[in-house]
Amino acid sequence: MKLFVSEGNPHCLKVLAALEVTGVQCDVQYVNHEERVVPFLSRPALPALLLPSGLHLFSSNAICRYLFEIVGQDSSERCNQWLEWEATDLQPALLQALHMAVLHGKGSEVSKVLQGPLNYLEQSLSKGNTPYLTGEAVSVADVVLWAALYPVLSDSSLACERTSVKAWFDRGAVLHSCESAAQKVLQGKGLQGMKSYMQRQPAPQSSQSRDTQPCNS
Amino acid sequence: MALRELSSLEKYLGLKKPNKYSTQGDKKIPVLQNNNGPPLVGMVTIACHLVKEAKRPNLLGDCAESRAVVQQWLEYRVSKLDGCTKEDIKTILKDLNLYLQDKVYMAGNQFTLADTFMYYGIHPLIVDLAIQDKEQYVNVTRWFDHIQHYPGIRHHLPPVVVPRNRLYTSKHH
Repeated sequence: MKLFVSEGNPHCLKVLAALEVTGVQCDVQYVNHEERVVPFLSRPALPALLLPSGLHLFSSNAICRYLFEIVGQDSSERCNQWLEWEATDLQPALLQALHMAVLHGKGSEVSKVLQGPLNYLEQSLSKGNTPYLTGEAVSVADVVLWAALYPVLSDSSLACERTSVKAWFDRGAVLHSCESAAQKVLQGKGLQGMKSYMQRQPAPQSSQSRDTQPCNS
Repeated sequence: MALRELSSLEKYLGLKKPNKYSTQGDKKIPVLQNNNGPPLVGMVTIACHLVKEAKRPNLLGDCAESRAVVQQWLEYRVSKLDGCTKEDIKTILKDLNLYLQDKVYMAGNQFTLADTFMYYGIHPLIVDLAIQDKEQYVNVTRWFDHIQHYPGIRHHLPPVVVPRNRLYTSKHH
């Protein structure tokens, strides 16, 4: 089993944090952003995990879920729901926020773009009344969301006004693994550590154009 | 769209009592009220729940590896395929065509929920393809034709004619 990651790529933060939390032993290879590791994808997709069967996983959430499952922690329905929300709701907003903050220096826009998802997270955490997203213990959902939000939450005061998000984010258990993963990916440069990665990404569509041109309606 | 898909899935799974769904937000994300706890939100989450309810866990993969592969394609469907732009379509079909080159199903040799989900999601793209394009993406159309003839899958969707004999020679030869 071999994990391919690249420096400055925020998705790699998730899988490196999951690797630390689960303690799974795995070869980690740092490659260039442009390296095509997954043979059937025409665009570079990192992180990627080469499975013992020879198949590649190219979704960071599927990789994290797999790492948790092989140490005996299957994801629950609540977990599934958070992972789906992360991929369909949080990621598009996050991508747009990072694009603005890293490439256009508009850090002030971040809070506006992330307002919806962060409020949803705040509501769920305060209603659920448990220390972690799915209960009393850390799950793959915490690691994935933590790592996804780490670059923006550690770099700004976004969490301060949302007390439940802040308490969840500051809770020790995963924070250490996340910080260590962040150090590897961002090299202590904060948001600027992602610059060369973000420059190679297509500009995110605004939510408006996403709604007006779906090919699948 | 999403709700019709879930109801087709219920029929395929042979669930006796159809569920009632609501939707939330602009994107009309499906919501299932759950007697045993808070409601379940999201296509993938609800579909995996239905599979478990029907006691067909193999549809989610029969080992950790294939379960990860299935989840990956379910996520791909709702995050990449849904809402893709016209420019994305070619890349998606090209990548899938290469992926399916040596596979019968999305997760290899076993039929899973990933096939159902990708089939529903890719149907509108295949409907719009010209015959030449169908031949260009021959592995995708072979897989597609296989799934649309799979017992109990097609339900709410019209069948798409896929050429079985090559009418045109491929551009790549």
